[in-house]
Amino acid sequence: MHVHELNPKRTVIAMVIFVVVIVVGLLTLTNPRLKYNVEPPQAITITTDFSSGVNAKEIDNLLSASTSPTILIDIRNHYEFARGHIASAINISAVELLNKENIKWLNELKEDQATVIIYGESHLQANSPWMVLQQLGFDNVTYLSGGYSNYMQFKNTKGENNEFATYEADKAKYNFAEIAKETLGSDVTNTSKKKHTIVKRKKKGKATAGGC
Amino acid sequence: MNKNYLFLALLMIFLAAGLLFLPERHNYQQIKPQDLMWEAVQTTRYVTVDQVANMIIEGDPTLELVDVRDIDEYEKFSLKNAVNIPFDSLLCPNYQDYLGIEDMNVIFYGNDDIKADQAWMIARRMGYQNLYVMNGGLNSWIDCIIKPQRPEETASLSEFENYEFRKGASIYFTGSKIETSTNKSSVKVVRRKKGAAVAGGC
Repeated sequence: MHVHELNPKRTVIAMVIFVVVIVVGLLTLTNPRLKYNVEPPQAITITTDFSSGVNAKEIDNLLSASTSPTILIDIRNHYEFARGHIASAINISAVELLNKENIKWLNELKEDQATVIIYGESHLQANSPWMVLQQLGFDNVTYLSGGYSNYMQFKNTKGENNEFATYEADKAKYNFAEIAKETLGSDVTNTSKKKHTIVKRKKKGKATAGGC
Repeated sequence: MNKNYLFLALLMIFLAAGLLFLPERHNYQQIKPQDLMWEAVQTTRYVTVDQVANMIIEGDPTLELVDVRDIDEYEKFSLKNAVNIPFDSLLCPNYQDYLGIEDMNVIFYGNDDIKADQAWMIARRMGYQNLYVMNGGLNSWIDCIIKPQRPEETASLSEFENYEFRKGASIYFTGSKIETSTNKSSVKVVRRKKGAAVAGGC
């Protein structure tokens, strides 16, 4: 005789508790508010492309062209923003960009296929917030290459080619191998040319003209 | 057989079948996007080239330099004891051992700090800790350590002290040179002209 048969309701009770626990568990499982939509390997291929940014020369044309809506976001702090910013820029810090309302706004912009350009003082400042937004799936977000400092340089030199250089990320300023050669003496090149010494011989004196 | 048991067994099988439809999850212990953004705006991850030079000279055992440039660039020039993890292959399984070492401070560097910062971001997202970025990269390394510029005469004392350190570091990394002033003061020997034969005979 089985023990259960004494109380046939026991299995039913166990069953009900089991189902209730699972249902409650599923209901309370909260979905994280923000999720990465881009896997890390993909994120690497997206971000290695340094040509994806907007450079200082193009940005004014891009903003004035009314073909596609463009939003410009300044991620520097209020003081820096107050001191000077690109016209039509909105001041939102990078952390604030991930607020509930801003994420909603960014989603709307993405649906409208609007371009969002973020910039900081330097290229570096906007680079990592841009990467976070890309990894969240906002592929309409881009950045101002070289940042505000490069833009101001462009404005101050009025784009004269000889004075203004478009910013290039991760560009070697020197030929490191050359410098290593020069300074570390890793490559000893013995190029001291022997001087050719031309030995000039005195011409033998001609027989004295005119005898005695 | 009890009907309840049959039902329970079926329920179990049904729930187990649900596991098949769970989204595929990688074994990454990723940090939350909000936290990543918060860390991204901090500047504490940047170390200066002076600090790096100091750590190399002092032989800091916790220092691990990671060169994120391509292999051919790495082979041409790299810092002392740096390992090469090209940014494209940061997630290759055979490089993972370099990143997760306990108590090691990983310092990423590239030509400048953009690529290194990107490597920092990906590695940080994957949950690795103690990651830093060398500010300015190798460009700054050459500017400050290998070819230090003498500060202006009006510069502050700390700038001069910094310059002294850099000059010393420069000698450490490039080998000392004997600075002999090669411009010998050429001694002009002025010879007296041979006296012309005395004009006018006797």
